Amino acid sequence: MHPSPRRLVLALALLLGLSPALFAADVQVFAAASLTDVLQAIAKDYEAKSGDHIRFNFAGSNVLARQIEQGAPAAIFISADEAQMKNVAKAGLVDAATQRDLLANTLVIIAPNDSTLANFQPVDFTKPEIKRIALADPRTVPAGVYSKAYLEKLGLWSKVEAKVIPTANVRAALAAVESGNAETGMVYKTDASMSKSAKVIFSVPQADGPKIVYPIALLKTSTGDDAAKKFLAYLESPAAGAVFVHYGFLTEK
Amino acid sequence: MSSLDWPAIGLSFGAATLAVLINLVPGVGLAWLLARRAWPGKSLVETIVTLPLVMPPVATGLLLLELLGRRGWLGSMLHSLNIEVVFTWKAVVAAMAVMSFPFVVRNARVALEAVGTRVEQVAATLGASPWRVAWTVTLPLARRGIAAGAVMAFARALGEFGATILVAGNIPGSTTTISTSIYSDILLGHDGDAYGLIVVSIGLAFVAILASELLVRERRL
Amino acid sequence: MTAFLELRGVSVRLGRFELEVDAALSEGWTALFGPSGAGKTTLLEIITGLRRPDAGRIVMKDRVLVDAAEKISVPPHRRKIGYVPQDLALFPHLDVRANLVYGSPVAKAEDESEFQHVVERLEIVQLLDKKPDALSGGEKQRVALARALLARPELLLLDEPLSALDAPLKERIIPFLQRVRDEFRVPTLYVTHAADEVVALCERAIVLRAGRIVADGPVSDLFVLRESPGYRLR
Repeated sequence: MHPSPRRLVLALALLLGLSPALFAADVQVFAAASLTDVLQAIAKDYEAKSGDHIRFNFAGSNVLARQIEQGAPAAIFISADEAQMKNVAKAGLVDAATQRDLLANTLVIIAPNDSTLANFQPVDFTKPEIKRIALADPRTVPAGVYSKAYLEKLGLWSKVEAKVIPTANVRAALAAVESGNAETGMVYKTDASMSKSAKVIFSVPQADGPKIVYPIALLKTSTGDDAAKKFLAYLESPAAGAVFVHYGFLTEK
Repeated sequence: MSSLDWPAIGLSFGAATLAVLINLVPGVGLAWLLARRAWPGKSLVETIVTLPLVMPPVATGLLLLELLGRRGWLGSMLHSLNIEVVFTWKAVVAAMAVMSFPFVVRNARVALEAVGTRVEQVAATLGASPWRVAWTVTLPLARRGIAAGAVMAFARALGEFGATILVAGNIPGSTTTISTSIYSDILLGHDGDAYGLIVVSIGLAFVAILASELLVRERRL
Repeated sequence: MTAFLELRGVSVRLGRFELEVDAALSEGWTALFGPSGAGKTTLLEIITGLRRPDAGRIVMKDRVLVDAAEKISVPPHRRKIGYVPQDLALFPHLDVRANLVYGSPVAKAEDESEFQHVVERLEIVQLLDKKPDALSGGEKQRVALARALLARPELLLLDEPLSALDAPLKERIIPFLQRVRDEFRVPTLYVTHAADEVVALCERAIVLRAGRIVADGPVSDLFVLRESPGYRLR
């Protein structure tokens, strides 16, 4: 028995009505914790324009790399250092043609807003009144790795290592300083500029500091994913670039 | 061959033991009040005591951080006395104590309720004051259940992670525990070391649960 | 008859059940007789101090134990009232000897001989090192009774001591209890729902029914022998 013409038209209309939802795609993005606010802002604009939905997983890049290696369903990976991107590439999961350096950042030393520290220089870390330095875990998290590299370069690391409070990611280091539980900390300039309860007491000049870059890449599992490729392209566009700069990042070209 | 993080094992053991010892008297005391007396606010207290069992450990950890941090209600007092809690071993003990407290209370309460009031009543008629009754009749009869609770509390303290990592961090050389050490080993890709610690923690948990079962089961009085 | 224990206007309400009694106990053994649910155990709890009455006054030998209006209530451990509950409640974690001496005053020379006396009379000498769970029903009875006696109570409350025993065992124990009654001479309130026990052991009886005393007087006045074995209430 054939369905009546009326029924057919109704079904078609329903299908067409649902089509934006049917055709809207989900793009899974794994990104370093320090990109939380800026990427969420960019994604909001993008979702309004494209109708696609961006899902984020923010964590320390080392955790994300580990998760991707274990098979987590990410389409795009933005790491806070080259080392973690290399790890994922070594596992054969990166679409090498799509990899490039997206952003750059600099390090700053921070203290709680009510701190009385003035004219702070990195060597002041060795002073006895500084008991705690909050860093993202210098063994594994890029922000911490960079901070340690900088302090080693200045010959200070061995003297201050005992004062280091390693945290799970750079945002946790920021929180430790904001709460006053650590007198000082080192985070990215972009994290510090977001904070209302912590202030910058020293900015590491970009020339002195380690080269902090954020590589971005499409993961091989999503090579055929048009929505993912579209978002990747958007992130590299001037529109997104303006937002990155607004949040204090440096864009690479 | 992997190397075991002995300082972490030592801290876990020592802190868990200290946590249980800290919990014992208040826990059994509170259990007695819950088992033997009715009083206003009792349901509220019962709920609060159960919270660490039910809440996500990191949530409890956050509350502890608020309380014990340098700006916290208790932490600021201690800080002015030059006592630091967060990011030290003391925070490990605090987190373990809070998370394992419900085990002490609940097990002790069940044990006390099992003793029943009849023997206590007769002891009173024989001239024993309430203190003497508690000491010579109630506690000896509830001893096994209380011990089982302490063992379970110890096992829970050993396995504590979420709250610990928030208030104590995972500072190599001072606040790494078995659980947090496994975590960082995994993050660093030192799977061999992680597995070593995992075997240790399974072994300890096994022994703890077995001891607890034996304590409760042997010779029902 | 001088009143040893006086209960005046003692009342308590438990849900729908209401107990209200006025009574005076003399020295000697008094039965508290009534069916189950009459309130006998509740009354015992009030006398021992394990339960507070809503109203009333209890005086023992000029000592006020309870006065609800004046908010006086002497705690159980100071009333010197011995209590052997129906389930005996021996301390399972202590051996018989430790159970027995639990309530007795500090050991002195005469206490030691008193201990021997009680233990021999209640025929429990051979049980002293055993634990309660190794005793038979009858042995537990005697130990519980000895324990209460050794605490030198001024008043003894026995809650249905023979109810769990079968007839032959009862027949053997009743003379035993009579000897205890005559030798130790502790005023006793003997709770039971068995008329034959009342007649065998007590001089006076208080009859309790649905929370009220319906009769109170000498046993010979209240109980009459009936055709089939046993006694019944007049």
